[in-house]
Amino acid sequence: MPEILIAEGVSKRFKLHRNRPTTLKETVIRRLTGRYDNGSTTYWALRDVSFSLEQGRRLGIIGHNGAGKSTLLRLVCGLGRPTKGEIRRMGHVGSLLELGSGFNPEMTGRENLMTGGILSGLTKGQVTASQDEIIAFAELEEFIDQPVRTYSTGMYLRLAFATAIHFDSDFLVVDEVLAVGDSRFKQKCQQRLRLLRISGKSLIIVSHDLEQIRALCDEVLVLEEGRVEIQGNPEDAIKCYADLMRRRTERRAAELGIAIRPNLKTEQGIRLGTQEATICAVHLLDGENRNIDHLISGSSLAIEIEYLVQRPLPDMALTLGIFSENNVKCFETSIASIRTTFGQLAEKGTFRCHLPELPLLAGRYYVNLSLHPMDWSYVYDNHWQMHPLQVMNEKTMLAYVSGVVLVRPDWSFRTKE
Amino acid sequence: MKNFTHHRDLILNLARRNFILAYKGSTLGILWSALLPLSQLLVLVFVFRRILPLGIEDFPAFVFAALLPWNWFSNSINSASNIFLVNRDLMRQPHFAPRTLVVVDALTNLLTYLISLPILLALLTLHGRGVTISLLFFPLLVLIQGILIVGLSLIIATLNVFYRDVAHIVSVAVMLLFWFTPVFYQSKIVPEKYHFLYTLNPMAVLVESYRAVFFGTPLEWSSLLLSFILSVMLCGLGYIIYQRQLHDIIDAI
Repeated sequence: MPEILIAEGVSKRFKLHRNRPTTLKETVIRRLTGRYDNGSTTYWALRDVSFSLEQGRRLGIIGHNGAGKSTLLRLVCGLGRPTKGEIRRMGHVGSLLELGSGFNPEMTGRENLMTGGILSGLTKGQVTASQDEIIAFAELEEFIDQPVRTYSTGMYLRLAFATAIHFDSDFLVVDEVLAVGDSRFKQKCQQRLRLLRISGKSLIIVSHDLEQIRALCDEVLVLEEGRVEIQGNPEDAIKCYADLMRRRTERRAAELGIAIRPNLKTEQGIRLGTQEATICAVHLLDGENRNIDHLISGSSLAIEIEYLVQRPLPDMALTLGIFSENNVKCFETSIASIRTTFGQLAEKGTFRCHLPELPLLAGRYYVNLSLHPMDWSYVYDNHWQMHPLQVMNEKTMLAYVSGVVLVRPDWSFRTKE
Repeated sequence: MKNFTHHRDLILNLARRNFILAYKGSTLGILWSALLPLSQLLVLVFVFRRILPLGIEDFPAFVFAALLPWNWFSNSINSASNIFLVNRDLMRQPHFAPRTLVVVDALTNLLTYLISLPILLALLTLHGRGVTISLLFFPLLVLIQGILIVGLSLIIATLNVFYRDVAHIVSVAVMLLFWFTPVFYQSKIVPEKYHFLYTLNPMAVLVESYRAVFFGTPLEWSSLLLSFILSVMLCGLGYIIYQRQLHDIIDAI
């Protein structure tokens, strides 16, 4: 397949001004006094990034906040120019970045649709021709002649998404897809993206959701501090991304002067983290609050996590997941900010997560836990495969079942009469 | 060809949108675009007929014929300063060329001008003056002024992204230029030794030319040609400045 996008050695430098808009006075004074240093520093958002995208492929871009994803996307769209290197586009780019940003709240949906369509590169005639289809896709038939300011967020995004995706482009750039509207509309969008793929369109997708990246992309690029860490198949890339997280944690620990021991007094599994906050004990409890290490399929489970903050932290994030023995994520929940959820972060305490029923089939599972700083850039403490949970079958299981989810198949049989 | 249609549709759509937004929700709506120059006219007529009589024949039409193009100029130039800054959203669209904004703004203000034209024609009729054949040159003057406005706006809009003082300098300059442009007086009364300044001011030449077109008096082709050349040169200069800074504009926005 021919390549549709090539980036070669792309670097982008930004000037960081201490006090942004320069005034004429400052410039004049600087020129007169011959001092060019106005306290502005430069920083490289991208360094020597090279990759290519073949027609019909879907490329995912992942990276920690500030790794340069947005800068790269903007350059791909032709907004701004690389400081070094070059980006070649062999086709028309469609963008789902900043959905609906060209919309004006005072104008009606129909008028905004027209403006949006023309902005994405069409003529008035072409927009008029596909207008009804777009309105139908966005499911806004009744409201299309109302001003957009009266729309709900969901309606607004639906219109923006429908407008943006309907226009013919050779490749689409999508940022955090499918954060659009309700789950049914999300399905529709995913469907639409799949269709685009079948018709030979290429996609570039940026997402924080690794599962989504795994499901949608053929290839994944991992960015770290403006550099390409890896471009490869999703599995390798996601592994690499997890690896980065570990390396960042080690670096952070080194800064703090904490020696990280790979198996920090654990009997099993892997423990990692800077230990700025630690998980000191984890209890798995059944319905009667008894400590357990095994559980009957479908019964209740409570997980208690005792933590201790080793050095003052304003806030942190917590994730709890149940993974199968071969690392399939069965379920995960996270609290992005302890402080907003439970108030001021105490020096120590216990989080309790109650799962009224845990519909897992028999097998060996692990409860994996981690504490993170707010930007998820590394881990304070991560317990990986340290807390096993044996799930046992209910007594009466007639037919053979396998997998992870507890379902009770009801078989029957009849002969043709 | 598709490209041309696309650009035309884009410019017309945005101009229409600006125009609708300016008057949406107000009771008098589009009438406001005529009421503003009318109120300016009333003040000027009162001052220069009753307080400081200038003794110019058919003074209301005389002033109005110059005031309308002047407003087109000053409104466009004043809004050019912040045009990139207030339209960040549009500038972030992948295929949008920011220079479009400058053209759209000039066009929106031209529309305001054209809407008030019937009032001018009515004034002329009231004075017993008919429309003459020289009105055919009107589109030519609009074209020259359009080039001038787009050129100046490109320069101002680009510079103001980097130096926010430009907006203030421009509003002072436009205010001063009003007095050096024969809107409410005749350039005849200007002393001979300052005449060259007036021929170098394209707005002065244009304003006089509009008047000639509406009053059916002969046009001064040589100064008009000079203004045309000046406008084209400014437009070229504006384009070069803009094109050079384009990528920095997008980063700075």
